[in-house]
Amino acid sequence: MSDPGAAEPRPSPGQAGASQAGASHGDHDHGDHDYGDHDYGDHGAHRPLPATDVELRARALEALLVAKGLVTTDAIERVISYYEHDVGPRNGAKVVARAWLDPAYRQRLLADGTAAIAELGYGGAEGDNMVVVANTPTVHNAVVCTLCSCYPWPVLGLPPAWYKSLPYRARMVAEPRAVLQEFGLELPAEVEVRVWDSSAEVRYLVLPMRPPGTEGWDQERLAGIVTRDCMIGTAVPSVDAAP
Amino acid sequence: MTEVPRLERVDAALAGRAPLPRDNGELVFEEPWQARALGMGVVALERTGSSWAEFRRHLVAAIQRQPGDPEASPATAYYAAWLEALEGLLAERGLLP
Repeated sequence: MSDPGAAEPRPSPGQAGASQAGASHGDHDHGDHDYGDHDYGDHGAHRPLPATDVELRARALEALLVAKGLVTTDAIERVISYYEHDVGPRNGAKVVARAWLDPAYRQRLLADGTAAIAELGYGGAEGDNMVVVANTPTVHNAVVCTLCSCYPWPVLGLPPAWYKSLPYRARMVAEPRAVLQEFGLELPAEVEVRVWDSSAEVRYLVLPMRPPGTEGWDQERLAGIVTRDCMIGTAVPSVDAAP
Repeated sequence: MTEVPRLERVDAALAGRAPLPRDNGELVFEEPWQARALGMGVVALERTGSSWAEFRRHLVAAIQRQPGDPEASPATAYYAAWLEALEGLLAERGLLP
């Protein structure tokens, strides 16, 4: 993609929905953070003030680095997007894989998620009061934060943009099956869907079922098929996802 | 194509005296330029083979040099220092005037 206007405003209408949605509940106090929608330069909607000195300095440096071939705007955007969408869930995946292999750990995990997760060295403020809910052949769990975007960061990393979007937050409660279908997850009619509403006090993590075809796999290999979405409950692990 | 370093690696490189601003676990960007500053730094360091330890040294120094503007929010102050550190490191390496 040619990109002559590196330091110019780059409106991105496709990203605007989630952050606009944030306005309606922006005044409650348990942590709404709709940062990072890439509406760079979307001055009219969000920031009537003129660009600050430091922002101009940022643009000037970016333009200079682009001119010198040290960065490209594509690469910058890839980093931003990657940090928002892709990193983090490895910790949670290790927790799940351990629970699949070690029935005693599984028991501790379901009895006291916070303590069992801390055993593996993960925790911290955002992971306090972790409750782990297990999928079974008859129950599928999914997590939402209807108020904002509370999320078990220490085990799942940065929340995906859709998790923070108003449509997901509203529809996951009202019509979970339809939402899950849109994620490509078809559940048999006899499976009950339970939706858990995260809050500042309690953050939920879904313990998915270990899929068939993984007999004899070690913990690392198992963790490799546990995606972030599996632990939010919008997907289930599949051997096809193996690296 | 530049390999994007894992965020954990960036966190580890900056841990201690110059951690990335976070709130509720999420990276804090008060304005879009701050996210771009982070992306710009990560890409420039990787492409130029610069060391994160050297960058951190510049960043810590830049944070200490700040006048402590009470009006500036922590993320704004941090990414202002980030820009200064990036300029300083690249200039030191002769990559910027």
